Amino acid sequence: MLQAVARPAPSRTAFVELRQSAMLKQPLRLQGEYRSEPGGRLVREVTAPYAETTTLADGQAVIVRGNRAPRTISLQQVPELAAVQAGFGALLSGDRALLERTYTVDASGARERWTLRLVPRDPRLAAALQRIDLHGRGAELRCVESVPAKGEAQRTLMAGAAAAAVGVDDPAALAALCHGDRGTP
Amino acid sequence: MTGTPAGRTALALVWLALLGMAGWWLASQLRMEEDLRRFLPSPRTPAQILLVDELGEGPGSRLLLAAVHGAPAEVLAARSQALRAALQADPRIALVANGDDNGLDAVPGHLRPYRYLLSPTLDTQALDAAYLQQELQARLQDLGSPAGDLVEPLLPSDPTLEILHLAEAWQPAHAPQRLHGVWFDRDGAQALLLIQTRAAGFDSAGQLEAVAAIEAAFAGAAAGQADAAQLELSGPGAFAVAIRERTEREMTWIGTVDTIGLLLLLGLAYRRWSMPLLGALPLASAGLAGLLAVALAFDGVHGITIAFGFTLIGVAQDYPIHFFSHLRPGVSPWHNVRALWPTLITGVAATCIAYATFLFSGVEGLKQLAVFTIVGLGVAAAATRWLLPALVGPTRRDPAHSALLARLWHGIARLPRPRRALAGLAVVALAAIAFAPGTFWQNDLSRLTPVPPADLQRDAQLRAELGAPDVRYMLALQAADADAALQASERLLPVLAQARADGLLDGYDLAARYLPSAATQRARQARLPEAATLQADLEQALADSPFRADAFAPFLEDVATARTAAPLTAAALAGTPLELGVGSLLLQGADHATALVSLSGLHDPAALAARVQASGAQLLDLKQASESLVAQWRVRLLAALTVAALLLVGVVWLALRSPRRVLRVVAPMALSTLLIVAVLRVLGVELNLFHLVSLILAAGLGLDYALFFDHAGDDRDDQLRTLHAVIVCSLTTLLVFSLLALSSIPVLRAIGGTVALGVLFNFVLSLFIARADALEKAA
Repeated sequence: MLQAVARPAPSRTAFVELRQSAMLKQPLRLQGEYRSEPGGRLVREVTAPYAETTTLADGQAVIVRGNRAPRTISLQQVPELAAVQAGFGALLSGDRALLERTYTVDASGARERWTLRLVPRDPRLAAALQRIDLHGRGAELRCVESVPAKGEAQRTLMAGAAAAAVGVDDPAALAALCHGDRGTP
Repeated sequence: MTGTPAGRTALALVWLALLGMAGWWLASQLRMEEDLRRFLPSPRTPAQILLVDELGEGPGSRLLLAAVHGAPAEVLAARSQALRAALQADPRIALVANGDDNGLDAVPGHLRPYRYLLSPTLDTQALDAAYLQQELQARLQDLGSPAGDLVEPLLPSDPTLEILHLAEAWQPAHAPQRLHGVWFDRDGAQALLLIQTRAAGFDSAGQLEAVAAIEAAFAGAAAGQADAAQLELSGPGAFAVAIRERTEREMTWIGTVDTIGLLLLLGLAYRRWSMPLLGALPLASAGLAGLLAVALAFDGVHGITIAFGFTLIGVAQDYPIHFFSHLRPGVSPWHNVRALWPTLITGVAATCIAYATFLFSGVEGLKQLAVFTIVGLGVAAAATRWLLPALVGPTRRDPAHSALLARLWHGIARLPRPRRALAGLAVVALAAIAFAPGTFWQNDLSRLTPVPPADLQRDAQLRAELGAPDVRYMLALQAADADAALQASERLLPVLAQARADGLLDGYDLAARYLPSAATQRARQARLPEAATLQADLEQALADSPFRADAFAPFLEDVATARTAAPLTAAALAGTPLELGVGSLLLQGADHATALVSLSGLHDPAALAARVQASGAQLLDLKQASESLVAQWRVRLLAALTVAALLLVGVVWLALRSPRRVLRVVAPMALSTLLIVAVLRVLGVELNLFHLVSLILAAGLGLDYALFFDHAGDDRDDQLRTLHAVIVCSLTTLLVFSLLALSSIPVLRAIGGTVALGVLFNFVLSLFIARADALEKAA
């Protein structure tokens, strides 16, 4: 499954992310793109509703906003981010062994609609992160869904799913898109 | 008087049992002090007082630097995390940091509202609607950022993330880079940790336990892992442990060779297996009695008292040898010991009276040493006089009947008494002492326990990577109380910041970084808005934001609490993670307080000292302070020794009652001392305290040789027995101390070389100068 996904590794992909919080009147919807850069760096660039660039490398995230000083965060403190990176790492390198060092990997579904379920091995990580589900179709990774130990799942829709999510604000509809229940390219 | 063999065995067993009981009691009761400062004289200069009374050896001396290397970075990071987790639960470890700490845990929940009093943010920024609006927009982005989960729980009470500002401000100024969440060196090849032990730096037993705990924790984390990750420890504690292990290793082989050599020598000299064993009893009794006396008279026994003391009572090993050499068939041991006693007791009394001067030196360590040696030598002499004769059985041999000894005796009798040549030798020795190049005294204690240069270089490298504080220099600010010290520290802060900007040093740490003075906290309280004003401003800021109107109610409560709270004091930090940092940098005495500034990467100590002087801070050079204490100790010791030498001559005079004989007895010892110092100086050896103590032992040995040669007895046989005794004495002593001189540990080498030279010189010079007239006449 992973091999099939890995072969046509995209160097960039659009994403839509919905951030839910009890403090917000409505979920925060982010748009932008993920891209891979030489040296194994992964860049997450938010274009709306504000501009922000996050670079993931060497176990840390460097966040740049406008012309303010960059902020550096350890990935260990942000399991969700580690999850995204793991998803992309697997996608880009097809290195199942690397993935399996951190997670138990369980594949399900068919090539047309598949799910890779990653469950953290490290109890410290597991205390914060219940699991990560990678949803895809064929060679396309369409959604990274990370389920924290407490609180609601956070979803990042990519590629075809991100395109299909344009104009969709309803969390339930986006969840369905993530799971591949609706929308075709 | 000599009893049956069974009776003798029983008596020996009773004696051994008594020694065993005394040893057992001592082992359970004796409190060993390892703190060198307790052995040194009372401090006088401010730096000395701070060093001795308050600092110990400074907070830097309790820090161990750890590096994990030899595996891929993720593995090293995981190992670093496992090590930290294990050590955090260890009572021997006060603090362990590996960079995996966002600082949020530093402030416990009940102190969180104090963030507005601890952080300088609001000194320059009003907490108004415009600021809140700007901050809320930033928080929205935070929620949407990868760090969203991290900040979300903080936001309701802290929309400006003041607690994160504090945590950032408290990070070490020169923290290493983080990879995989933990500190790494610049090349990313080794994970770095800072570990602070509970035990003080000088407490080598405590450091040994801490190092063992760290190694065990690392081994536990590595168990079952296939990688080759290795742990490396550096810092004063790790060095102390290494030198201790090296000393123990060397002492083991030296002790083994010594034992075999002594058994062979004594067996050859007396041809009886019981002699070496019986001969050890007086010395063992002396050591235990000396320890008992010190334990009863003082609070605790200093490690150095024991080391120096056992060196000094080494002379007691000679007492039974003199007795054994005079044993002969048909004469009761009691008769023999009575004949020897006047000479023996003259030496013992003279030495003990000399050591008694240490009692008036005003230095605790020297007083302990005096009690130890006087009691020890007294007990050894008494044991030789009143116990040993009851233990030896009838002998079949008389050393006087040895043909070899007789030939030797005749040779010696023909020796000249080269008065002029020896006087010339004394002048040459004096000239060598005075004019040999090089430093006379060595005050640097660290040179006694040297760290291999490679380890030192590694330590400097790790210290620079970790920004760990200098162990030698620090700044001190004294004030009437803790708060005044904090205020003075606050005035120092801009000076330090400027000094760092100017490149005088790389970093610093002081209590005021964590805990502002009460005045500063009150000024910040005054700037916090009233509840109604803040609420109105917050509502205005929230009006058009995606946040819910009631999302920040806890924030309003926290600000209200901060506005009226009593300023935070050092005492209120007890039990929090901040206690350790503030406590080790803010020392509170009964009538004053001292704020310390630890320095890292200090490039120009003199320039920094000049800069901070105006703020009332002084630069402490702990190395210089301890060296000046050592120099002071030596001055006291030399003064005591001068008086001791005069008293010793007085006692010898009283015993011998002849100026000519006194000169003969004292001259070999005095000339030997000169010669030893001259040889050491010419070899470029700097003299330290251990040389000095060894010189005293050598002089004591020389005194005994000369006394016995001077009073060798009335007939030829008696003189032969004396010669036998002195030869056995000097050979055994020479064996023991020559082996020590081969050691790679400077302390052991100093003692061994000095005493071995002393035995050689004293034996030869006693033969030339002190041998009895009778010997000459008989020849």
